[in-house]
Amino acid sequence: MTSPIQHCKECVELLGEYIEGTLPPDRAKALEDHLSLCPPCITFVRTYRATRKLCRHVLAREMPEELAFSLKSFLGKHVPGFACSQSEAADAAAVAKADSEPKKV
Amino acid sequence: MPATGGARRGGAPLDEIPNTPAPEEPRADGQPGDRELVERAQKGDGTAFAMLVERHQRQLYRLALRMTGSEADAQEVLQEAFLNAYQKLPLFRGEAQFSSWLYRIAANSALMRLRRKRRAPDALGEQPLELSGPKFSAEGYLEPTSSSDWSQRADERLMSGQLGTAINKAVEELPEDYRTVFLLKDVDGLSNEDIAQALDLSVPAVKSRLHRARLALREKLGEFFEGPVK
Repeated sequence: MTSPIQHCKECVELLGEYIEGTLPPDRAKALEDHLSLCPPCITFVRTYRATRKLCRHVLAREMPEELAFSLKSFLGKHVPGFACSQSEAADAAAVAKADSEPKKV
Repeated sequence: MPATGGARRGGAPLDEIPNTPAPEEPRADGQPGDRELVERAQKGDGTAFAMLVERHQRQLYRLALRMTGSEADAQEVLQEAFLNAYQKLPLFRGEAQFSSWLYRIAANSALMRLRRKRRAPDALGEQPLELSGPKFSAEGYLEPTSSSDWSQRADERLMSGQLGTAINKAVEELPEDYRTVFLLKDVDGLSNEDIAQALDLSVPAVKSRLHRARLALREKLGEFFEGPVK
């Protein structure tokens, strides 16, 4: 039988793995039992989750198109046969796949 | 500001990547998996290598950007890492995921760049750690100041732009190795295992830094919404 979580401090320590779903089931159950009895910890979980969501929203960065283009251009000069565009690469892959499959007669 | 690994950091050799099995699930988009593309690229198929670049360049860009803190450096790291990977491709034996191998190459490239610029601290593990976190009573219960619910009020503040400024400042104030782990995991979506390999940390160390960083940021956001805790 799993040991119950008595104090908020233990609950908070387990929170990272809990929200990622990597906490062992018995500890997750103990944590949920604690949450069902502890409104401050429920609030804590909400704000912990909100922290991740807000930071992701504000700080997410996409690779600039021009950087992707310059990378392709750079590698095109150094890697023999490096396709210049994604569509070219996809087309070449499709041709290679078709060539490797048995031909229908 | 650059951010790097921790106690085990320092650009470990590529052959130190553990021999983890690399199961390859069929891809939902019907495209060849990494393993097949790597095998083709090892035989000189430049198109297969181009597909690997297309597939991994975005995550590698994020890793390079988070480690160097500079768009220009990230671009250099990306070019160097992919070229290096191409040249070392014959040495890749498929014992680890290709992406993990690639992350390690990029991370090493970023670290070398930082060292050349004398921006990499020599002893990160000895940095004083001053991360804020929730307050508990002597019995281990949350103090009221640590349990205010601001989560429902975030949207309107987000719209105003003030919250973005506060988040940028709070993240900037994190110790750099904590910041890098947090950004790579919670913002960029890398796995704990990939972060550990890229930054030469253990997975438990990644989880610990991640959690501490989240707690510190949550505290700072609480101060933003409620005013600083006296």
